[in-house]
Amino acid sequence: MKDIIRVKCLLSTEVEKLLNQQIKKEAQASSAYLAMASWCNQHGYDFSSDYFFKQSDEERQHQLKLYKYVLDMGGTAISPEISNIKIEYNSFREVFEEALDQEISVTQSLKNIAANCHKEQDYITVEFLNWFFKEQREEEYKARRALELFDVIGEEGTGRWQIDKHVGGIVYDSEA
Amino acid sequence: MQNVAVAPSVDLLEVFQTRNGSVFQSDSKKCWYVDFAGHNNRFDYRSIMKLRKAIYGIDIEALLLNSDKAPDLEIVFICACDHCYVLTLLEIIAFKELIEGTFVMLELNRILHDRVYSLAV
Repeated sequence: MKDIIRVKCLLSTEVEKLLNQQIKKEAQASSAYLAMASWCNQHGYDFSSDYFFKQSDEERQHQLKLYKYVLDMGGTAISPEISNIKIEYNSFREVFEEALDQEISVTQSLKNIAANCHKEQDYITVEFLNWFFKEQREEEYKARRALELFDVIGEEGTGRWQIDKHVGGIVYDSEA
Repeated sequence: MQNVAVAPSVDLLEVFQTRNGSVFQSDSKKCWYVDFAGHNNRFDYRSIMKLRKAIYGIDIEALLLNSDKAPDLEIVFICACDHCYVLTLLEIIAFKELIEGTFVMLELNRILHDRVYSLAV
């Protein structure tokens, strides 16, 4: 008996489901960053607001990259429904804590997909995911560096103004 | 509803069968024939995937606990597909058993292709 499903779609049902969950996760991250950009802008942290706008764009690009991959492999990409985005934060620091938590959660989720792909010997998707793992190195680095500014500079006096100024300058340029 | 009469043919291979229905695969036409509730319907890849989603999406527990006076019927309509099922609760349970078993067999076939046939070629 021919494997018709395999002829039509490279992805297994499980991997397709996980990739669609990841699409949703990236969309949620993009929306959450947009909310953070809004909060920072409202509170006068212009550089941080710009930083989060850029992060939101990046997450959206990640979402589309996954979306196109699922379609290219013959799967069904599902446009996700996003709700319950947090829009209020108790402090400037809390915004960056949440940003780092979010990046860690995305990395963990990608690891879970890769683990499933290895189990199924889906090396094509593993190879595709490698780009995301490299990207997560940068994302986590930037989020961690931003949060460390709160300890290095301190929030007293003009501290938060200084932190905001430095957030815009965080870059990850490792070639490793 | 469109019923497709299918003459027994060597091309049709049984995928799964229960007391209430059966599913056959046609390798040449790359489709499946689902024989259930008096209908023999043809499904291509996209539509059988939609059928699976529709059947798995029915909350049988909620239907069992429902004490409404409404008739105990569920309409399974698959978008962009000619077929539509009007099923009672018992038929839904039987249909779900058939579809689940079919996909387990198709998954098994996939594993066989992956692990055995592809290495033998």
